[in-house]
Amino acid sequence: MSVFPAPIAPAEIMAVAMARLLRPGETVFHGVASPLPMIATLLAKRLYAPDLVYLNIAGSIDPEPERLPVSTVDPALLRGSRALVTLADLFDLSARGRLDVAFLSGVQIDGAGRINMSAIGPFARPKVRLPGGAGSAMLMPTAKRVILWRTRHDPRTFVERLDFVTAAGNVDRVVTPLSILVRQDGRLVVESIHPGVSPEAFREATGFPVEVGAATPVTPPPTVEEMAALREIDPEGVVHSEFG
Amino acid sequence: MHDKRTTLTEAIAAISNGARVALGGNTLHRGPGAAVHELVRQGKRDLEIVKTAGAYDVDLLCAAGCAAAVSAGFVGYETPFGMAGAYRAAVEAGRVEAREHACATVVAGLRAAIQGVPFMPVAGLQGSDLPAARGFQSLRDPYSGAEVFVVPALMPDVAILHVQEADAEGNGRIIGTRFEDVLMAQAARRVILTAERIVDGEAFVAAPETVAIPGFLVDAVVEAPRGAWPFSCTPYYGFDADYLAAWVAVARDPEAAREFIAERILGAAALA
Repeated sequence: MSVFPAPIAPAEIMAVAMARLLRPGETVFHGVASPLPMIATLLAKRLYAPDLVYLNIAGSIDPEPERLPVSTVDPALLRGSRALVTLADLFDLSARGRLDVAFLSGVQIDGAGRINMSAIGPFARPKVRLPGGAGSAMLMPTAKRVILWRTRHDPRTFVERLDFVTAAGNVDRVVTPLSILVRQDGRLVVESIHPGVSPEAFREATGFPVEVGAATPVTPPPTVEEMAALREIDPEGVVHSEFG
Repeated sequence: MHDKRTTLTEAIAAISNGARVALGGNTLHRGPGAAVHELVRQGKRDLEIVKTAGAYDVDLLCAAGCAAAVSAGFVGYETPFGMAGAYRAAVEAGRVEAREHACATVVAGLRAAIQGVPFMPVAGLQGSDLPAARGFQSLRDPYSGAEVFVVPALMPDVAILHVQEADAEGNGRIIGTRFEDVLMAQAARRVILTAERIVDGEAFVAAPETVAIPGFLVDAVVEAPRGAWPFSCTPYYGFDADYLAAWVAVARDPEAAREFIAERILGAAALA
């Protein structure tokens, strides 16, 4: 497998990195506002894990969408699905320990991999009211592993201390435009930094202490095969939508 | 046959100020848009809105001064349009209380109401600040001794749901995902159904399993073509991206939002 030669966008590196984290046979879920998880899951199903079970908040099971929606609740995500599930079914699945992977995100993420999606400032009278954690407070402790993704990697996002803990739990990896973090003994540590990211830039962008240096592995760049599959799944570039 | 057909005006007029109102659909999809606009036109006050994931519906009801509290897991326009500016402004100014839920706790609260029990155990929530912030208690499982969070029953005074087809008795067919609509219909004291079209209920007899909402749970049926607008209603129309973009552009500023509402929802040009 050869390395893809052309410039690769951060969104593409993230989608491929997220896809590589999914394993054959896993049951995988994403919720609202999740274009990158949608694309990563479709990519993993095509390349590495054809028997993965893809579930989503739109209610479909293993869909084969003709056109990728930017809203991940969109009925366009039902195409190809042979049965439907409700959101309640999906929470129940996680509650009884049968959901392998949940993709979640946080406006703030701390060094333990906990997230804030609720408020900046006091919860009752916030400086910034955030959208809310959707299902994360329930899914994060109950899904077998949680993959966080965040399209911003800066000190306001990766913080020492959350204003509010919306959810905590079984975070396994965090994928960002700069890196892949892995949780070990309850703390996020660097698994790899993406090609072209310097240890100094990474350290400055991260608001909690992380060990990174010359010996830190570099994320293997997307291969020609991965990029071809990505562009076939997503010819309109929905993968970039979270980078606005 | 009990003919429950009525006008949108009359159906919404039966909702009291202060009511707990559950809205069907999810984010940009199959929300009861026409009914939400009617809530605004009738100037309802002090509503508590119940939804797992809301968007324009919650945002507009906050901007228009109809909502006093929002019990939801997520309020936002997803990736296409981002944050819900009016909701955000109203909560930050203290005009609206954000009763944040995990979406699963909305489901659990509805289920408690459905099952006639005061509360419902729910998996998860460990390590979250939400239980403390929202007053969700935990109990010791009398059998295993383990701690489990319990959420109080969430019984809507009224559920407003938009479906693709209904008959005059209120049997409602939903095409595509049902979201929390069926749970809301079972949990609520009253149910208002708006439908793209009213059909002869004889059409449902051949395959009653395709009917999501049984008519005996429904109190009022309103024919509302394009009644989800600006939400999507599969397979008939997608969400109205231009309209939603225009709204989101003004929603953060209370004065601009009021002008938008006066012109586009209350004004003569309003009627879609």
